Amino acid sequence: MSFAVTLKTLNREALCGLVIIVLVILLGIIVPIASPNNASGFVADPLAPPSMSLPFGADHMGRDLFVRTFAAARLDIVLAVLGASIPIVVGTFIGVLTGAAERKIAGALWDALINAITAFPEIVLVLAIITMIGGGWNGLLYAIWLSRWAQYARLARAKTLKLHESEFVQAAKVLGYSRIRIMTRHIMPNVYSEAIAYALSDFVFIIVVIGGLSFLGMGVRPPTPEWGGMLAEGRIYLQTTPRLVLFPGAILSLTAIGVALFAQGLARHRKEAVR
Amino acid sequence: MEVIQRIIKQAGRFFQHSLVSRVVQAALVSFFLLTIVFFLLRLIPGDPAMVLLGENASMGQVEEYRKLLGIDRPPMEQYVDYMSSAFRGDLGVSILRRQSVVKIIASRLPVSLWLAGSTVVMVFVLALPLGLLAAVYHRTWFGTFFRVTTSVAISTPIYFTSLVILLLLAVKLDLVPIAGYDPEFPKNLRTLFAPALTNSILLAPVLARILQASVIDTMEEEFIEAAIVRGVKPFRFMWHYLLRPSLAPCIAALGYFAATVVSYGVLIEIIFNLPGVGMSLIEFIRAFDYTAVQGFVALTGLLVVATTLLADLLNAWLDPRANLQ
Repeated sequence: MSFAVTLKTLNREALCGLVIIVLVILLGIIVPIASPNNASGFVADPLAPPSMSLPFGADHMGRDLFVRTFAAARLDIVLAVLGASIPIVVGTFIGVLTGAAERKIAGALWDALINAITAFPEIVLVLAIITMIGGGWNGLLYAIWLSRWAQYARLARAKTLKLHESEFVQAAKVLGYSRIRIMTRHIMPNVYSEAIAYALSDFVFIIVVIGGLSFLGMGVRPPTPEWGGMLAEGRIYLQTTPRLVLFPGAILSLTAIGVALFAQGLARHRKEAVR
Repeated sequence: MEVIQRIIKQAGRFFQHSLVSRVVQAALVSFFLLTIVFFLLRLIPGDPAMVLLGENASMGQVEEYRKLLGIDRPPMEQYVDYMSSAFRGDLGVSILRRQSVVKIIASRLPVSLWLAGSTVVMVFVLALPLGLLAAVYHRTWFGTFFRVTTSVAISTPIYFTSLVILLLLAVKLDLVPIAGYDPEFPKNLRTLFAPALTNSILLAPVLARILQASVIDTMEEEFIEAAIVRGVKPFRFMWHYLLRPSLAPCIAALGYFAATVVSYGVLIEIIFNLPGVGMSLIEFIRAFDYTAVQGFVALTGLLVVATTLLADLLNAWLDPRANLQ
């Protein structure tokens, strides 16, 4: 069940996903630094067609679309990592803690709370929280943190309750190990591998949500290059210059697909390893 | 004493395994859900009435707005008041339009229902044959193809998928209008085709995958082998032996689908300019209509809880064994 998978043993799907992710991250780091053009500088005529110096052409304000697309990659990936990291730690911790407590009524109440949070349509809840606390990238992150932890708590709780009935935890109890020791040494390691596996697929979702909220004008604000925001700006030119939408959208989708393929490949790999 | 304990234990067991527990759970979840929604308004930093009215407002105006928002009294009193009126079906009043939130949303419902309805039809038409084929041929090239294409379709953000569909169907082929809605019945299907197709491209693969996994499990059962040996006719075999026993996980996912349709609805209605429920949420947000947003969130959350409960009951009715597990 370990995550120490070597590149050689990875299946084609996971490898394909990994290549896409690494490529997008590398381009996201290199392009904004290496390019002579600034992401928010006006370098050409508005809507100038693609050329040698401007691989994706210029956007509606004459900015370099290529640089903007990959500057957005950097921002979106960092935001998505930040967005996923707090919920995975906090949610898993809460899930294990409430699962290991073995209190029936408190457990039922936690279940109800977690089910209540996960019941809200995700985008609606995040939008509502942002309306209340204010937009921008920090508001976006708070909203994702406040709504996303419940998924991990649910997962960790279910797994912990199941592990509590397994033989090795029962054996640890018989041996008289303390609750904390059982929790940290016996339950946590098993829960964490599952939480990380879930986090990978959650990562796709968070990237999509960040873009979606910026698309609606509630997340990262222009002129900061962000995929969703770029799609919203380019949407007006869909009939005349669709590449304003197609290039950033394709890179965004490619990133999401890459992570999804990687997650799916890894899940299959784990399943086969268990067998 | 022992008798009492035994009765309590039996009652507990009955409770755990019966539909009553599902209903009680749903009620408990709804209670928490409304509590969360109540606290949502308290996330606003500072005084929401001041935020709304700006700095030039007079004390009297601020006081009036505080009353409208329901934040002029002690928190506990507000909470009890909110919960009791929510229990009576009153999820608040829009501060800007001075109208019941439920009423505003109800007036926008027809468009969203038409969209949801055409999405459901399209999803079923696409997902049932795809899921069945993918299950039967899951060890061949079709299985791999299915796995890769569905993960591409599911991962692509809906706001990009819809723009690509608009580009293909409206700009290049000129089959559908680029945006807008025609409320008359037969004509509205033409305006709903592109948004429903977008929804289906994201939802049908999810359903098809659930169905595929479930049918693969069903195929291991003995009655399948027996049916093959007996030479059951293909159509009957597909429906009675493969599909029907595999539907439970699909029904269990109904709550997830309801939540997703609402979430996507917000984005889709903006992109295709459909004056539905999702668009009204964006209007509330742009106008800082806090109580209307609050009511909207509560309503959609309750909708998902109700759908999940319905799915549970439906599954228990279809397969009494599910009840005992």
